[in-house]
Amino acid sequence: MMRLTRGAALVLVVCPLLVSAQNLQDLEKRVTEFTLPNGLHFIVLERHEAPVVSFHTYVNAGSVNDPGGRTGLAHMFEHMAFKGTDTIGTKNYAGERKALDAVEQVYDRLEAERNKGFRSDPEAVKKLEAELKAAIEKANSFVEPNVYPQIIEENGGVGLNAGTGMDSTNYFYNLPANRIELWFLLESERFLKPVFREFYKERDVVREERRMRIESSPQGRLMETMLATAFAAHPYRNTPGGWASDIESLRVGDARRFYETYYVPVNLTIGIAGDVDPAQARRLADKYFSRLPVAPPPPRVNTEEPAQSGRKRAAVESPAQPFLMIGYKRPDQLNADDVVFDVISSILSSGRTGMLYKELVRDKKLALGAMAIATFPGGKYPGMFLVYSVPNAGRTVEENEEAIYGILEKLKKEKVDEATLARVKTKIRASLIRQLDSNSGMASQLTHYYVNYGNWRKLFTGIEEINKVTADDVQRVARKYFFEDNRTVAFTVKPKAGEAGK
Amino acid sequence: MTRLIIATLAAAAVLGAQTAPAKAPAKQAPLPSYQTLKYPPLKEVRIPEVATYTLANGMKLYLVENHELPLISGFALVRTGNLFDPPDKIGLADVTGTVMRTGGTKRKTGDELDEQLENIAASVESDIGETSGRVSFSALKENTDEVLAVFKDVLTEPEFRQDKLDLVKTQLRSAISRRNDSPGGIAAREFSEAVYGRDNSYGWRMEYEHVDRIQRDDLIAFYRRYFFPANIMLSVYGDFSAPEMKARIEKLFADWNYTQPAVPPFPPVQQKAVPGVFLATKEDVNQTFFYAGHLGGLLNDKNYPALEVMADILGGGFKSRLFKRIRTELGYAYSIGADWGANYNHPGVFTISGSTKSASTAETLKVVREEIEKIRNSEVTDAELASAKDTVLNSFVFNFDTPGKTLTRLVTYEYFGYPKDFIFQYQKGVAAVTRADVLRVAREYLKPENVTIVAVGKPAEFGEPLTALGMPVKAIDLTIPEPKQAAAKVDAASMERGRQLLQRLQAAAGGAKKIAEVKDFTAVSTAEIQAGPMPMKASRTLRWLSPGHLRQEQELPFGKITAYFDGTAGWLATPQGTMDLQGPFLKQTREEVFRFPMGLWLSDRVPGRTVNATAEDVIEVSDQQGNSVRVQLEPKTGLPLKQFYRTVTMQGPPSEVEESYSDWREVDGLRLPFAITLQQSGRKIMDVSITDYKLNSGLKAEELSQKP
Repeated sequence: MMRLTRGAALVLVVCPLLVSAQNLQDLEKRVTEFTLPNGLHFIVLERHEAPVVSFHTYVNAGSVNDPGGRTGLAHMFEHMAFKGTDTIGTKNYAGERKALDAVEQVYDRLEAERNKGFRSDPEAVKKLEAELKAAIEKANSFVEPNVYPQIIEENGGVGLNAGTGMDSTNYFYNLPANRIELWFLLESERFLKPVFREFYKERDVVREERRMRIESSPQGRLMETMLATAFAAHPYRNTPGGWASDIESLRVGDARRFYETYYVPVNLTIGIAGDVDPAQARRLADKYFSRLPVAPPPPRVNTEEPAQSGRKRAAVESPAQPFLMIGYKRPDQLNADDVVFDVISSILSSGRTGMLYKELVRDKKLALGAMAIATFPGGKYPGMFLVYSVPNAGRTVEENEEAIYGILEKLKKEKVDEATLARVKTKIRASLIRQLDSNSGMASQLTHYYVNYGNWRKLFTGIEEINKVTADDVQRVARKYFFEDNRTVAFTVKPKAGEAGK
Repeated sequence: MTRLIIATLAAAAVLGAQTAPAKAPAKQAPLPSYQTLKYPPLKEVRIPEVATYTLANGMKLYLVENHELPLISGFALVRTGNLFDPPDKIGLADVTGTVMRTGGTKRKTGDELDEQLENIAASVESDIGETSGRVSFSALKENTDEVLAVFKDVLTEPEFRQDKLDLVKTQLRSAISRRNDSPGGIAAREFSEAVYGRDNSYGWRMEYEHVDRIQRDDLIAFYRRYFFPANIMLSVYGDFSAPEMKARIEKLFADWNYTQPAVPPFPPVQQKAVPGVFLATKEDVNQTFFYAGHLGGLLNDKNYPALEVMADILGGGFKSRLFKRIRTELGYAYSIGADWGANYNHPGVFTISGSTKSASTAETLKVVREEIEKIRNSEVTDAELASAKDTVLNSFVFNFDTPGKTLTRLVTYEYFGYPKDFIFQYQKGVAAVTRADVLRVAREYLKPENVTIVAVGKPAEFGEPLTALGMPVKAIDLTIPEPKQAAAKVDAASMERGRQLLQRLQAAAGGAKKIAEVKDFTAVSTAEIQAGPMPMKASRTLRWLSPGHLRQEQELPFGKITAYFDGTAGWLATPQGTMDLQGPFLKQTREEVFRFPMGLWLSDRVPGRTVNATAEDVIEVSDQQGNSVRVQLEPKTGLPLKQFYRTVTMQGPPSEVEESYSDWREVDGLRLPFAITLQQSGRKIMDVSITDYKLNSGLKAEELSQKP
C-alpha cells in the first residue's frame, strides 16, 4: 500500500514539473515588458479568451514606510487615491485650491496652539477648532463627491479596490477591453496630480475601518498585540492600519510628503492582463504615464530588528472564545531558506493531510482549525513563520500550544517522509497552474514577483527551487528556527472573574 | 539581466533628478479628458456551447469544453437543502453534506481519500446548503479517470463512518460556542432569523441539542432520500472532448439506477413583518454593527430590474446615496451598503448594513431611514439613473468572462426553472428602467413601517439611545441554550429498582438515619488542579449547613477565592473583588448543592426528586429544576464508585464531568471518600485528597455568610 502511494507520487513529481515548464514557455510568448524613460515598469500579459482586461498597480511602499508617529499614513494615502484630481471631483478647482490651503493654515495655527501643551489657551483652541470646521465645510462645498470611482463603475469597471499591506500598496480593477484607455487616463492622473480633498472626513472613515477590523474584532486585537510583542524596533511592529491616535492626527502635508517620496515612477510597477494588444499598451503608457516626473528611488527602511533574546508571551483579554498565535523569527524572502519555509507551511497546513489538521483537528480534536503561514506579516524584511490555532470548545490554548510544539519537535527529530514531500510539491505546482486563467490574479502575481524578486519568471522558476527542497532541508530549517528563545506567543484570555461580573 | 536594467535606470533617475529636478515633462498634444474619450465597440463575446444530455438512469449531464489549461472540474447539483432539516435535528443536511465526503466510501476511508486526492493535487468535496446540495471535483487533466472514480464513489456509495460524524459534531459544537464572538456575525444572523421567523426552516438555528441528536442513521436516511440519479444535474468543465466525456460518464454511472419519489417543493416563506429595533449588547466592541430591512422578493419578479437599479442608487458602491452621505459626508462608516435581496425560489431580504462607532449609532440609523423615505418620496435624478444603468450594462461582459460562468448559470436557471435567456431578459429590463419606474417600485416594495433593525454594540457608549428612533427597542438575549438531556426510560419497575439501589447506598454509607442526623459538614482537602501545562496546588475548605448553605474556600497560587450560597443567592470573592453569584457561577453552585452527598443520598425523601435506575448499578437522580446526576455504585460494597453529570462552563458548551471516589473511611459512623478525582470531557482536571471531615460541629449560617 505504502509503496503504491510512493510510486504514484514519484510519477507525479515529473508530470506537473513539465507542465509548469510548458506554462513558462507559453507565457514567455504572451508576456511583454517595457520600462518608460521615467523608470515606470509595465508587464503585459495577453489572454484573449474574453474581451476583458485586469489592471494592477503595485506600489513598492506600504505601512513599513509610515514615518514615526504617523502610522497609518500609507493606508490614508491609499484612501486619498480615490478622491480625484484637479479635474475630477471638483466644481471649481481654483476656488477649491484656495479653500484647501485655508484649511491647512487654520490647522497649522490650531496645532501650534495645541503644541503649547498645558500652557495652551483652551479658548483659543476652541475658536480655532470652530474655524477649522468652517474652513473644511467651505472646502467641501467645492467637491463633487466620489466622481473618480463613479467613472470607473459607470464604465463597467468591476472589482475596484485597493489594499495597503506591510510591504506594498496595491490598486486594481477590471474593465471591458474596449475601455482600456480610460484606465491609462485615470490611473496616470491619480498618481500625477492627486488632490487631497475631504482629507479629514476620510480620516474618520479610516478610523472607522480600524474600529471594524481591529478594535471590535478579537482576532484583530490579537494580531496587533502579536506584532507589537514580536518586533521591538522594526516597523513590522505596527498594524498596517496604524495606531488610533496616530490616525487621528494625520495631516494633509504628511500624506503629500509620503506621496512625493514613494509614489515615484521607479517605485511603481504595473501589470495588465487580458484582451490587450501590447503595442497599444506601450503607446498608451507613453502617452499617459511618461508625464510622471523622474524622481529618485525612495529611501529604504534602515531600522533592523535586533536579534530576539528570549521567548515572548502576550495575553489579550477578550470575552470571545480563545485564539492562539505562535511565531518564530525568520529571515526575509530573499534568503535561501525562504522556499523551505513555504514547503514547511504546506507540510503543516495544506488540506486535510497537513500535520496540523491531522493532529489538532482530526485526531486530538483540540482545534476547530489550525494553519501555518510561511511569511508574516511581510517578506521584504525579516519577519515570522506563524502558526495559528482556533481551539475547540472546552479545549485550552495551552493544550493547543503543547500539541503544536510537539508537531514542530517532530519536524526537528524525524525526517519528513518522501511521500509527504512529493505531495506538497505537487500541490504547490498545481496551484500555480490553477491561477493561470485569472487575469486579475496574474496581473497581481507578475508585478509581485517582478518587484520582490527582480523578475516575473520567479513565479515559475521558484517552483523549480521548491522542487529541490529535501527532507534534510526541512529538518535543518526546523532546527535552525523553531526554538523557544526565537518564539513569540500571543493568545486571548477571558477577562478576570471580578470584571466579568460587572 | 532585468535587475541590471533597473539599476541603470535608477541611476539615470537619480542623475535626472539632480541635473534637472524641476524640469517639466516634454510638451505633448493635450490629452483627452474622461468625458471626451471615445471607445471602439466591444468585441463580441463568445458564449460557449453547453452540450446537454439525459442519461438512461435519469441523471442530466452538461458539458463545456475549455482547453486553455490542462484542468478538469465538475459538480453534481442535487435537489435537497437544509430547508428539509427535521425541526428536532436542525443541521442534519449540513452534517450529511460534510460527512458524505469526510466519512469515506465503501472502498476507502475519508483519510485514505484525503491522501489519494492530495497526492495528485485533486479534490472531491461535498456540501449541502439551503436549497441545493453539491458534490464537486477538480483535477489535473492527466488524473481525470482516477478522480472521476472517487467522485462517483462519494456520490453513490458514501459510508458516513462514525469517527467523522463525531468530528463534525465536535466542530459544530465549537462553532455554536463561538457564534457570539464576532459582532458583525451576530448582527447578520439575528437579522436574518428575525426577518424569516425562528419557527421555520428559513430562520431557525442549530443548537447543541440538535447536534447531540443527529446520528449516523439520520445521515444515511437523508442521503438516501435525496441522492438518486434522476435528482442530479452533473456539469463537467475543462480540457476534454464532449462526446468522449459523455461516453465516459455514461459508463461510469451505468450501474447506478437507484430511484426515489420526486423531491417535494421547498416550503414557502410565510413570515409576517417584525418591525422594531432589536439590540444585542456586546461589551468588547467600540463599533455598532447594524442591519436594517425586511423581506425582499424573487428574481423573476417583473420589477426585479427596476428594484436592482433602485437599490444600486440607494446603496450600491461608491456613487450611492448611503455611501455618499454616511461615509463620504459624515465619515461615520467604513462599510455601508444596500442590497435588494432577491432569490430564485423564495423571497430574499432587502438589507441595508454597515458599522459605525458606538457614539454615532442612532444618528447613522436615522440617516438610513431618511434615505429609505427619500427614495420613496421623489424621483431619482437623470444622472443617478444613467449611472446605475451604465454600471450594470457596461459591466455585463463580466458575466461571460469565463466559459465556466455560462455553464454554472445555465444549470442554475434550469435547476430553479428559469428561462435560458434570463440574463438577457434582465439586461433588457435594466435598459428600459425609467425614473418613474424607480419611484414606483420604491413605493410599492420598500415598506418603512415593516423595517426590522438589528444593532449589535455597546449601548453605554451610544451618543443617543436607540429609543430616539421612535420604535420599540427590544433586547436580544445572546445566551446559548444548553442541550436538553435525553431522559432515560422511566417506569414503575425502574423507579422501584432505583429506590432499592439508593437504599443499598444508604446502608453502605452508614444508614439513612445516620445520614439524616448530619446537620452540618466540613471537609478540608488539598487539590491538584490540571488547568494548563503546569499543575496547580490548592487547599480547600468546604462547609455545608442543612438544608442548602454552602461555603467553599480555595487558596490558589494567585490568591484566595471564597464562594457562599444560601440556597437561593450568594457571592464570590476573588483577589479582584467581590461580586454576586450570577450566570454560570450561580448555576454551578446550585448544581453543587443539589449533588451534595448528605442531601443526594436521601433523595428518596425529598419531594420533587426522581430516583430511577438506568443500568444495573446506576441510579439517576433528577429534580424539577433540571438538575440531574447519575451515580454508579461499586457492585461489591454498594458505595458510590463514580458520579456523572453535565455542568455549565465559563466558556463553551456544557461539559461532561466524571467524579471517581476511593479511599473510603469511617467518620463518626458514616463512610466517606478520602480521595476524589474529577475528569472533564474525558480529561483529568483535579485530584482531591481530603485531610479532615468534621460532622455536626455546630456551624452557624452567620459564620458561613461572612465576607472575607
